[in-house]
Amino acid sequence: MRILAIDTSACPVSAALMEDGFLLGEFFLNTKTTHSQTLMPIVESLLRAAAVDIKDIDVFAVNTGPGSFTGVRIGTASVKGLSMPLDKPCASVSTLEAMAYGLPYDSGIACAVMDARCSQVYNALFRLNGHEPERLTDDRAVSIEDLADELAGYSERIYLAGDGAELCARAFDGRLTNVVLPPQNIRYQHAYGTACAAQRLIRENRLLSSDALMPLYLRLPQAERELKKKQSGGKPDQ
Amino acid sequence: MQRFLSSSPEETEQIAERLAKTLSGNEVIAMFGGLGAGKTAFTRGLARGLGAGDCVSSPTFALVNEYEGRFPIYHFDMYRVATYDDLYTTGFFDYLGSGIMVIEWSENIEGLLPDEKMTVTIRPVSEEQREITIEGAQTI
Ligand SMILES: Nc1ncnc2c1ncn2[C@@H]1O[C@H](COP(=O)(O)OP(=O)(O)O)[C@@H](O)[C@H]1O
Ligand SMILES: [Mg+2]
Repeated sequence: MRILAIDTSACPVSAALMEDGFLLGEFFLNTKTTHSQTLMPIVESLLRAAAVDIKDIDVFAVNTGPGSFTGVRIGTASVKGLSMPLDKPCASVSTLEAMAYGLPYDSGIACAVMDARCSQVYNALFRLNGHEPERLTDDRAVSIEDLADELAGYSERIYLAGDGAELCARAFDGRLTNVVLPPQNIRYQHAYGTACAAQRLIRENRLLSSDALMPLYLRLPQAERELKKKQSGGKPDQ
Repeated sequence: MQRFLSSSPEETEQIAERLAKTLSGNEVIAMFGGLGAGKTAFTRGLARGLGAGDCVSSPTFALVNEYEGRFPIYHFDMYRVATYDDLYTTGFFDYLGSGIMVIEWSENIEGLLPDEKMTVTIRPVSEEQREITIEGAQTI
Protein backbone atom coordinates (compact mmCIF):
# COMPACT_ATOMS: atom_id res chain seq x y z
CA MET A 1 0.00 0.00 0.00
CA ARG A 2 1.56 3.26 -1.17
CA ILE A 3 0.28 6.65 -0.05
CA LEU A 4 1.24 9.95 -1.60
CA ALA A 5 0.36 12.71 0.88
CA ILE A 6 0.54 16.44 0.36
CA ASP A 7 0.03 19.53 2.48
CA THR A 8 -0.39 23.09 1.23
CA SER A 9 -2.79 24.27 3.91
CA ALA A 10 -0.65 27.15 5.22
CA CYS A 11 2.75 28.68 4.55
CA PRO A 12 4.79 25.45 4.27
CA VAL A 13 4.33 22.96 1.46
CA SER A 14 5.24 19.30 1.76
CA ALA A 15 4.82 15.91 0.15
CA ALA A 16 5.42 12.49 1.66
CA LEU A 17 5.58 9.00 0.26
CA MET A 18 4.61 6.13 2.55
CA GLU A 19 4.82 2.42 1.78
CA ASP A 20 3.11 -0.04 4.14
CA GLY A 21 3.49 2.38 7.02
CA PHE A 22 7.15 3.13 6.25
CA LEU A 23 8.11 6.71 5.36
CA LEU A 24 10.01 6.35 2.07
CA GLY A 25 10.58 10.05 1.62
CA GLU A 26 9.40 13.52 2.42
CA PHE A 27 9.95 16.93 0.86
CA PHE A 28 9.28 20.04 2.99
CA LEU A 29 9.65 23.67 1.95
CA ASN A 30 8.80 26.74 3.99
CA THR A 31 9.57 29.62 1.65
CA LYS A 32 7.13 32.34 0.65
CA THR A 33 6.75 30.96 -2.87
CA THR A 34 3.22 30.26 -4.07
CA HIS A 35 2.21 26.62 -3.65
CA SER A 36 0.86 26.56 -7.19
CA GLN A 37 4.48 26.92 -8.36
CA THR A 38 6.21 24.61 -5.87
CA LEU A 39 3.85 21.68 -5.27
CA MET A 40 4.09 19.83 -8.58
CA PRO A 41 7.90 20.06 -8.87
CA ILE A 42 8.10 18.77 -5.28
CA VAL A 43 5.80 15.82 -5.99
CA GLU A 44 7.67 15.03 -9.20
CA SER A 45 11.13 15.10 -7.65
CA LEU A 46 10.02 13.10 -4.63
CA LEU A 47 8.59 10.35 -6.84
CA ARG A 48 11.61 10.40 -9.14
CA ALA A 49 14.13 10.29 -6.29
CA ALA A 50 12.24 7.44 -4.64
CA ALA A 51 11.92 5.67 -8.02
CA VAL A 52 8.18 5.30 -7.60
CA ASP A 53 5.83 5.71 -10.53
CA ILE A 54 2.70 7.77 -9.92
CA LYS A 55 0.69 4.81 -11.29
CA ASP A 56 1.90 2.76 -8.32
CA ILE A 57 0.29 5.08 -5.78
CA ASP A 58 -2.75 3.45 -4.14
CA VAL A 59 -4.11 6.36 -2.12
CA PHE A 60 -3.72 10.12 -2.50
CA ALA A 61 -3.98 12.00 0.80
CA VAL A 62 -4.34 15.72 1.38
CA ASN A 63 -5.04 18.16 4.19
CA THR A 64 -8.42 19.56 3.13
CA GLY A 65 -8.59 22.12 5.92
CA PRO A 66 -8.65 24.07 8.02
CA GLY A 67 -6.12 26.42 6.49
CA SER A 68 -5.62 29.29 4.10
CA PHE A 69 -8.34 29.72 1.48
CA THR A 70 -5.99 29.47 -1.49
CA GLY A 71 -3.69 26.86 0.02
CA VAL A 72 -6.43 24.39 0.85
CA ARG A 73 -7.85 24.78 -2.66
CA ILE A 74 -4.50 24.22 -4.35
CA GLY A 75 -3.96 21.03 -2.34
CA THR A 76 -7.45 19.67 -2.85
CA ALA A 77 -7.53 20.47 -6.58
CA SER A 78 -4.06 18.97 -7.10
CA VAL A 79 -4.98 15.69 -5.43
CA LYS A 80 -8.23 15.55 -7.38
CA GLY A 81 -6.23 16.04 -10.57
CA LEU A 82 -3.63 13.39 -9.68
CA SER A 83 -6.07 10.73 -8.53
CA MET A 84 -8.86 11.15 -11.07
CA PRO A 85 -7.13 9.89 -14.24
CA LEU A 86 -5.71 6.93 -12.29
CA ASP A 87 -9.08 6.24 -10.69
CA LYS A 88 -7.52 5.98 -7.21
CA PRO A 89 -9.20 6.88 -3.91
CA CYS A 90 -8.41 9.95 -1.80
CA ALA A 91 -7.99 10.53 1.91
CA SER A 92 -9.37 13.81 3.21
CA VAL A 93 -7.33 14.68 6.30
CA SER A 94 -7.83 17.41 8.88
CA THR A 95 -4.76 19.63 8.93
CA LEU A 96 -4.99 19.74 12.72
CA GLU A 97 -5.06 15.96 13.01
CA ALA A 98 -2.08 15.65 10.66
CA MET A 99 -0.15 17.92 13.03
CA ALA A 100 -0.98 15.73 16.01
CA TYR A 101 0.40 12.68 14.17
CA GLY A 102 3.62 14.61 13.66
CA LEU A 103 4.23 15.02 17.41
CA PRO A 104 6.24 11.99 18.54
CA TYR A 105 5.34 12.11 22.21
CA ASP A 106 4.00 9.23 24.28
CA SER A 107 1.98 11.35 26.68
CA GLY A 108 0.50 14.80 26.99
CA ILE A 109 -1.89 16.88 24.92
CA ALA A 110 -1.39 17.99 21.30
CA CYS A 111 -2.82 21.46 20.81
CA ALA A 112 -2.90 22.15 17.06
CA VAL A 113 -3.41 25.84 16.29
CA MET A 114 -3.54 27.71 13.00
CA ASP A 115 -3.71 31.48 12.91
CA ALA A 116 -7.17 32.53 11.68
CA ARG A 117 -6.45 36.26 12.31
CA CYS A 118 -8.18 38.61 14.74
CA SER A 119 -7.08 36.67 17.84
CA GLN A 120 -8.76 33.47 16.66
CA VAL A 121 -7.24 30.11 15.89
CA TYR A 122 -8.39 26.96 14.16
CA ASN A 123 -7.84 24.36 16.84
CA ALA A 124 -8.31 20.79 17.94
CA LEU A 125 -6.95 18.91 20.96
CA PHE A 126 -5.64 15.35 20.97
CA ARG A 127 -4.29 13.07 23.70
CA LEU A 128 -0.89 11.66 22.76
CA ASN A 129 -0.08 8.07 23.64
CA GLY A 130 2.82 7.09 21.39
CA HIS A 131 0.47 5.51 18.84
CA GLU A 132 -2.48 7.25 17.22
CA PRO A 133 -3.51 10.59 18.68
CA GLU A 134 -6.87 10.37 20.43
CA ARG A 135 -9.17 13.20 19.42
CA LEU A 136 -10.54 15.23 22.35
CA THR A 137 -12.37 17.99 20.43
CA ASP A 138 -13.75 18.63 16.97
CA ASP A 139 -11.90 20.96 14.62
CA ARG A 140 -13.19 24.40 15.51
CA ALA A 141 -12.46 28.11 15.47
CA VAL A 142 -11.87 29.55 18.95
CA SER A 143 -10.53 32.75 20.40
CA ILE A 144 -7.06 32.42 21.91
CA GLU A 145 -8.52 33.58 25.23
CA ASP A 146 -11.19 30.86 25.32
CA LEU A 147 -8.57 28.29 24.39
CA ALA A 148 -6.35 29.43 27.27
CA ASP A 149 -9.26 28.95 29.68
CA GLU A 150 -9.94 25.48 28.33
CA LEU A 151 -6.29 24.44 28.48
CA ALA A 152 -6.13 25.46 32.15
CA GLY A 153 -8.16 22.29 32.77
CA TYR A 154 -5.26 20.05 31.69
CA SER A 155 -2.39 19.34 34.05
CA GLU A 156 -0.25 17.27 31.66
CA ARG A 157 2.17 18.75 29.13
CA ILE A 158 0.57 20.59 26.23
CA TYR A 159 2.49 20.57 22.93
CA LEU A 160 1.66 23.38 20.54
CA ALA A 161 1.83 22.81 16.79
CA GLY A 162 0.96 24.84 13.71
CA ASP A 163 1.52 28.37 12.48
CA GLY A 164 -0.41 29.69 15.49
CA ALA A 165 1.97 27.99 17.95
CA GLU A 166 4.22 30.99 18.61
CA LEU A 167 1.21 33.30 18.78
CA CYS A 168 -0.43 31.10 21.43
CA ALA A 169 2.82 30.55 23.33
CA ARG A 170 3.14 34.33 23.67
CA ALA A 171 -0.49 34.74 24.67
CA PHE A 172 -0.30 31.94 27.25
CA ASP A 173 3.03 33.10 28.66
CA GLY A 174 3.06 33.13 32.46
CA ARG A 175 -0.41 31.58 32.71
CA LEU A 176 0.06 28.05 31.43
CA THR A 177 3.41 26.74 32.59
CA ASN A 178 2.85 23.27 31.11
CA VAL A 179 2.76 24.52 27.51
CA VAL A 180 5.69 23.45 25.30
CA LEU A 181 6.78 24.83 21.93
CA PRO A 182 8.32 21.83 20.11
CA PRO A 183 11.28 22.19 17.69
CA GLN A 184 10.53 23.43 14.17
CA ASN A 185 10.82 20.09 12.44
CA ILE A 186 7.72 18.86 14.25
CA ARG A 187 6.03 22.19 15.06
CA TYR A 188 4.56 22.73 11.58
CA GLN A 189 2.34 20.38 9.63
CA HIS A 190 4.13 17.86 7.48
CA ALA A 191 2.70 15.57 4.84
CA TYR A 192 4.10 12.71 6.96
CA GLY A 193 1.32 13.38 9.46
CA THR A 194 -1.18 13.48 6.61
CA ALA A 195 0.00 10.05 5.45
CA CYS A 196 -0.30 8.68 9.00
CA ALA A 197 -3.85 9.99 9.33
CA ALA A 198 -4.65 8.52 5.90
CA GLN A 199 -3.60 5.07 7.14
CA ARG A 200 -6.30 5.28 9.76
CA LEU A 201 -8.88 6.39 7.18
CA ILE A 202 -7.90 3.41 5.01
CA ARG A 203 -8.32 1.05 7.94
CA GLU A 204 -11.70 2.54 8.80
CA ASN A 205 -12.84 2.39 5.19
CA ARG A 206 -13.34 6.15 4.96
CA LEU A 207 -11.65 6.99 1.68
CA LEU A 208 -13.34 9.25 -0.88
CA SER A 209 -13.52 9.32 -4.65
CA SER A 210 -11.77 12.20 -6.44
CA ASP A 211 -15.21 13.69 -7.09
CA ALA A 212 -16.20 13.74 -3.45
CA LEU A 213 -12.98 15.38 -2.20
CA MET A 214 -13.79 18.92 -1.02
CA PRO A 215 -12.09 21.71 0.93
CA LEU A 216 -13.27 21.83 4.54
CA TYR A 217 -14.22 25.17 5.92
CA LEU A 218 -14.68 26.27 9.53
CA ARG A 219 -16.76 29.34 10.22
CA LEU A 220 -15.53 32.05 12.57
CA PRO A 221 -18.66 33.38 14.28
CA GLN A 222 -16.65 35.51 16.68
CA ALA A 223 -14.65 37.17 13.91
CA GLU A 224 -17.87 38.26 12.28
CA ARG A 225 -18.80 40.18 15.39
CA GLU A 226 -15.31 41.66 15.51
CA LEU A 227 -15.61 43.01 11.97
CA LYS A 228 -19.01 44.55 12.66
CA LYS A 229 -18.03 46.03 16.01
CA LYS A 230 -15.14 47.90 14.47
CA GLN A 231 -17.35 49.05 11.62
CA SER A 232 -19.99 50.62 13.82
CA GLY A 233 -17.45 51.92 16.30
CA GLY A 234 -15.25 53.28 13.53
CA LYS A 235 -15.20 56.56 11.70
CA PRO A 236 -18.55 58.31 11.55
CA ASP A 237 -17.99 59.68 8.04
CA GLN A 238 -20.30 58.65 5.19
CA MET B 1 0.90 62.03 9.04
CA GLN B 2 1.09 63.87 5.70
CA ARG B 3 -1.68 65.98 4.24
CA PHE B 4 -2.11 67.12 0.62
CA LEU B 5 -4.67 69.14 -1.26
CA SER B 6 -5.36 67.89 -4.79
CA SER B 7 -7.21 69.99 -7.35
CA SER B 8 -7.62 67.40 -10.12
CA PRO B 9 -7.59 63.64 -10.72
CA GLU B 10 -4.16 64.08 -12.36
CA GLU B 11 -2.81 65.71 -9.24
CA THR B 12 -4.19 62.87 -7.10
CA GLU B 13 -2.43 60.38 -9.36
CA GLN B 14 0.84 62.32 -9.05
CA ILE B 15 0.69 62.23 -5.25
CA ALA B 16 0.17 58.48 -5.48
CA GLU B 17 3.11 58.14 -7.89
CA ARG B 18 5.32 59.86 -5.34
CA LEU B 19 4.12 57.49 -2.63
CA ALA B 20 4.89 54.57 -4.97
CA LYS B 21 8.57 55.57 -5.03
CA THR B 22 8.87 54.92 -1.29
CA LEU B 23 7.44 51.39 -1.33
CA SER B 24 9.57 48.32 -0.77
CA GLY B 25 7.26 45.59 -2.01
CA ASN B 26 4.93 44.15 0.62
CA GLU B 27 3.06 47.10 2.06
CA VAL B 28 -0.61 47.12 2.89
CA ILE B 29 -2.21 50.41 1.80
CA ALA B 30 -5.68 50.80 3.28
CA MET B 31 -7.74 53.43 1.48
CA PHE B 32 -10.66 55.23 3.06
CA GLY B 33 -13.18 57.57 1.45
CA GLY B 34 -16.66 57.22 -0.02
CA LEU B 35 -17.91 56.69 -3.55
CA GLY B 36 -16.19 58.97 -6.06
CA ALA B 37 -13.60 60.17 -3.56
CA GLY B 38 -10.75 59.19 -5.88
CA LYS B 39 -9.51 55.86 -4.52
CA THR B 40 -9.32 54.24 -7.94
CA ALA B 41 -7.66 57.37 -9.33
CA PHE B 42 -5.09 57.18 -6.53
CA THR B 43 -4.46 53.50 -7.26
CA ARG B 44 -3.97 54.33 -10.96
CA GLY B 45 -1.14 56.71 -10.02
CA LEU B 46 0.31 54.20 -7.59
CA ALA B 47 0.44 51.43 -10.20
CA ARG B 48 2.02 53.78 -12.74
CA GLY B 49 4.61 54.84 -10.16
CA LEU B 50 5.41 51.17 -9.64
CA GLY B 51 6.04 50.70 -13.35
CA ALA B 52 2.87 48.77 -14.05
CA GLY B 53 1.69 51.26 -16.71
CA ASP B 54 -1.95 52.22 -17.22
CA CYS B 55 -3.58 49.00 -16.16
CA VAL B 56 -5.85 49.94 -13.29
CA SER B 57 -9.56 49.27 -13.42
CA SER B 58 -12.00 49.16 -10.56
CA PRO B 59 -12.20 45.66 -9.06
CA THR B 60 -15.70 46.20 -7.68
CA PHE B 61 -16.97 42.99 -9.30
CA ALA B 62 -13.77 40.98 -9.46
CA LEU B 63 -12.95 41.90 -5.80
CA VAL B 64 -9.24 41.80 -6.60
CA ASN B 65 -7.16 42.77 -9.64
CA GLU B 66 -3.51 41.84 -10.00
CA TYR B 67 -0.97 44.05 -11.78
CA GLU B 68 2.68 43.36 -12.46
CA GLY B 69 4.96 46.30 -11.75
CA ARG B 70 8.30 46.48 -9.94
CA PHE B 71 6.42 44.36 -7.41
CA PRO B 72 3.18 42.43 -7.67
CA ILE B 73 0.24 44.73 -6.91
CA TYR B 74 -3.03 43.38 -5.52
CA HIS B 75 -5.87 45.85 -5.88
CA PHE B 76 -8.89 45.04 -3.71
CA ASP B 77 -12.31 46.62 -3.55
CA MET B 78 -14.12 45.72 -0.33
CA TYR B 79 -17.38 47.45 -1.26
CA ARG B 80 -19.28 44.17 -1.31
CA VAL B 81 -17.40 42.55 1.55
CA ALA B 82 -19.47 42.41 4.72
CA THR B 83 -18.29 39.40 6.71
CA TYR B 84 -15.17 37.50 7.64
CA ASP B 85 -16.29 34.72 5.30
CA ASP B 86 -16.52 37.16 2.40
CA LEU B 87 -13.02 38.37 3.11
CA TYR B 88 -11.56 34.88 3.62
CA THR B 89 -12.96 33.73 0.28
CA THR B 90 -11.29 36.59 -1.62
CA GLY B 91 -8.02 34.98 -0.49
CA PHE B 92 -7.18 38.28 1.22
CA PHE B 93 -5.15 36.72 4.04
CA ASP B 94 -3.12 34.68 1.57
CA TYR B 95 -1.95 37.77 -0.30
CA LEU B 96 -0.48 39.40 2.84
CA GLY B 97 3.28 39.75 2.55
CA SER B 98 3.46 38.64 -1.09
CA GLY B 99 3.13 42.03 -2.77
CA ILE B 100 1.69 45.49 -2.41
CA MET B 101 -1.94 45.38 -1.33
CA VAL B 102 -4.08 48.40 -2.15
CA ILE B 103 -7.50 48.22 -0.53
CA GLU B 104 -10.46 50.37 -1.54
CA TRP B 105 -13.36 50.53 0.94
CA SER B 106 -11.15 49.57 3.87
CA GLU B 107 -14.00 50.82 6.08
CA ASN B 108 -15.70 47.48 5.48
CA ILE B 109 -12.86 45.38 6.89
CA GLU B 110 -11.39 47.78 9.41
CA GLY B 111 -11.44 45.21 12.20
CA LEU B 112 -9.44 42.74 10.11
CA LEU B 113 -6.74 45.00 8.67
CA PRO B 114 -3.23 44.09 9.80
CA ASP B 115 -1.63 46.39 12.39
CA GLU B 116 1.28 47.06 10.07
CA LYS B 117 -0.17 49.22 7.29
CA MET B 118 -0.39 52.61 5.62
CA THR B 119 -3.66 54.45 5.44
CA VAL B 120 -4.74 56.85 2.72
CA THR B 121 -7.88 58.85 3.45
CA ILE B 122 -9.43 60.91 0.65
CA ARG B 123 -11.96 63.55 1.61
CA PRO B 124 -13.83 65.57 -1.03
CA VAL B 125 -13.57 69.28 -0.29
CA SER B 126 -15.34 70.45 -3.43
CA GLU B 127 -16.23 69.03 -6.84
CA GLU B 128 -12.59 69.12 -7.94
CA GLN B 129 -10.71 69.28 -4.65
CA ARG B 130 -9.65 66.41 -2.43
CA GLU B 131 -7.87 66.40 0.89
CA ILE B 132 -5.55 63.40 0.95
CA THR B 133 -4.17 62.22 4.28
CA ILE B 134 -1.44 59.59 4.33
CA GLU B 135 -0.44 57.84 7.55
CA GLY B 136 2.32 55.35 8.24
CA ALA B 137 4.37 56.19 5.11
CA GLN B 138 7.79 57.73 4.60
CA THR B 139 7.83 61.42 3.70
CA ILE B 140 6.99 61.74 0.01
N1 LIG C 1 -8.88 66.00 -7.17
C1 LIG C 1 -9.46 64.86 -7.60
N2 LIG C 1 -8.87 63.68 -7.34
C2 LIG C 1 -9.45 62.52 -7.75
N3 LIG C 1 -10.61 62.44 -8.43
C3 LIG C 1 -11.24 63.58 -8.72
C4 LIG C 1 -10.69 64.83 -8.31
N4 LIG C 1 -11.53 65.80 -8.75
C5 LIG C 1 -12.53 65.19 -9.37
N5 LIG C 1 -12.38 63.85 -9.36
C6 LIG C 1 -13.31 62.89 -9.96
O1 LIG C 1 -13.80 62.02 -8.93
C7 LIG C 1 -13.98 60.73 -9.43
C8 LIG C 1 -13.13 59.74 -8.65
O2 LIG C 1 -13.45 58.46 -9.10
P1 LIG C 1 -12.77 57.16 -8.52
O3 LIG C 1 -11.31 57.33 -8.51
O4 LIG C 1 -13.31 56.02 -9.30
O5 LIG C 1 -13.35 57.18 -7.03
P2 LIG C 1 -13.50 55.98 -6.01
O6 LIG C 1 -12.65 54.84 -6.47
O7 LIG C 1 -13.04 56.55 -4.69
O8 LIG C 1 -14.95 55.61 -5.96
C9 LIG C 1 -13.59 60.74 -10.90
O9 LIG C 1 -14.74 60.95 -11.69
C10 LIG C 1 -12.68 61.96 -10.98
O10 LIG C 1 -12.69 62.56 -12.25
MG1 LIG D 1 -13.12 52.76 -6.83
